[in-house]
Amino acid sequence: MTGSTTAELIPFIVYFGGVILLVLTMLGLSFVLGQRRTNKATNTPYESGVVAVGTSQIRLSVEFYLIAIIFVIFDLETVFIFAWAIAFFELGWQGYFAILVFIAMLGVALVYAWRCGTLEWGVKTRVGLEAKDN
Amino acid sequence: MNLAAMQGLLPLLVLGLGAAVLMLQISIRRQLGWSYAITVATLLLGAAAMEPAMQVAPLQVTPLLRVDNLGLFFGSLFCLSGAVTAVISRDYLRSREGENEEYFLLLLLSTLGAVILAYSTHVAALLLGLELLSVALYALIAYPERGTLPLEAAIKYLVLSGAASATLLFGFALIYAALGSLEYAEIAVQISAGRAATSPALILMGAAMVFAGLGFKLSVVPFHMWTPDVYEGAPAPISGFLAGVSKGAVFIAVLRWFLESGFFQYSSLLAGITLLSIASILVGNLLALLQTNVKRILAYSSIAHLGYLLIVLVAAGVSPEPGLAVEAGGYYVVAYVITTLAAFSLLGLISRQSGDREYDQLSDLAGLFWKQPGLAALFTVALLSLAGIPLTAGFIGKFYLISAGVDAALWGLLAALVIGSAIGIFYYLRIIYTMTTVGEQANPGTTADMLVGSRLVVYLLIFAMLYLGIVPEPLMGYLRTIL
Repeated sequence: MTGSTTAELIPFIVYFGGVILLVLTMLGLSFVLGQRRTNKATNTPYESGVVAVGTSQIRLSVEFYLIAIIFVIFDLETVFIFAWAIAFFELGWQGYFAILVFIAMLGVALVYAWRCGTLEWGVKTRVGLEAKDN
Repeated sequence: MNLAAMQGLLPLLVLGLGAAVLMLQISIRRQLGWSYAITVATLLLGAAAMEPAMQVAPLQVTPLLRVDNLGLFFGSLFCLSGAVTAVISRDYLRSREGENEEYFLLLLLSTLGAVILAYSTHVAALLLGLELLSVALYALIAYPERGTLPLEAAIKYLVLSGAASATLLFGFALIYAALGSLEYAEIAVQISAGRAATSPALILMGAAMVFAGLGFKLSVVPFHMWTPDVYEGAPAPISGFLAGVSKGAVFIAVLRWFLESGFFQYSSLLAGITLLSIASILVGNLLALLQTNVKRILAYSSIAHLGYLLIVLVAAGVSPEPGLAVEAGGYYVVAYVITTLAAFSLLGLISRQSGDREYDQLSDLAGLFWKQPGLAALFTVALLSLAGIPLTAGFIGKFYLISAGVDAALWGLLAALVIGSAIGIFYYLRIIYTMTTVGEQANPGTTADMLVGSRLVVYLLIFAMLYLGIVPEPLMGYLRTIL
């Protein structure tokens, strides 16, 4: 086993060495050959010649993320429904009931998201919170 | 999917349906009592559903899952452990403001993931179970939002867990590249057919990466760094769930993967596991000596215990008759899960999230024996069981491990086990000693009353640990028939 293992490992080792060598060459050459300047504009970010305005740390409303994640989830679920739809006749009743369960679960998730106020913008009116008695 | 398959998958169906019902309940009317009742009922029904499922076992349902006695037995263990966690959490969350219903939903989903792990005979099922288990746990760890500690713990677990999953996937991809299969049984066929001989390096690298990824979940040294921080930050019942159910389920999945895909024939892999095991035992026990936080002590002790458990894998690989090793592993997992749950339950019950921190410092436990004798008795039995003192479940588990190790002649591992246990006794007994000191300061949180459910669970856990230690024969006999 050892003989063939070593033979098999050689391409890996060569490749690994090649990667290291390439990175070292690129960094080393630019370090040795590159020119160094300390002008006023050297350390400002290059934005196609336009002077950058403002900060990049803007606060975004958390609702963007909620809507985005809900979109991604439901968007992905349609992939499975498409996969079922193109094989509708081959899958028969068994596939039909399987996708029925799947869509029912999606429905439950949608009801949950809706009732928790995920789909609302601004002030949330979460259902049931006032009815809490614990 | 025919009726027999449905019957075999009944536990999974019950848990899934329970989660859907719980979601509907939350969206119709938010009420913690109902959420709690639905969760506990679902988990108990899931455990009970193993009985009808056993009538059709063994049965392969799709290439992904297999219904057999091993999976069903541990599936029911995880369901019951989930129920215990839910009961303790109810007490723990009693004084917490805000929405607590989703806590139980996440707990239910996490348990479902653990049960899927116990069923899995395919890489895809292993990953599905693992992700379901961990994704729910990320949210559960950060649930208390009390200070920065839980957030830090959740982020740590999320990032490292993602890296571990990536390593795991890459390892499976390498094995797939070499053998062309993701099914355990099929991998074993390919290996014994000699197809592995054409590319042993790929397979060994793949297996090593898979072990690194799963070793993270099992928190064996050197993949253990996250454990103390995460256990300290997470709510105490969830730390117990993480240490007990999550690790137990991953270990069962590893055992299946290892035995059913025939990887135990690679002696270099066994040597690697031996090193991991010795390192975990020594590092876990030595670092536990330095801690003053009880949760961190328990975290390091769980690292050491997983090191003990790895002996099972080596023994199963080395000895010609792996039955005894697997049996020992099964018994040890049962004893370990129950004991860990009991130890963290105590912390959950005395902390109860009233203040801005949990009462998990060693000094918080001072004089607990005189204030809360029942809880102190629970903790004492749990610690003695972790230390492996006779008449507790941990002793029989360790005894079993040693006999499996002797059977396979693993003297190095056994020496590490003996040294580790000897060190362990010191810090376990230190906690017990602290509890018996007459505490001058009365910790306000540690004297409150418990709900009836928690009281019941405390007595049940004490009973289970002592019963398994005094009368181990029924469980041993049962494990012998199913493995």
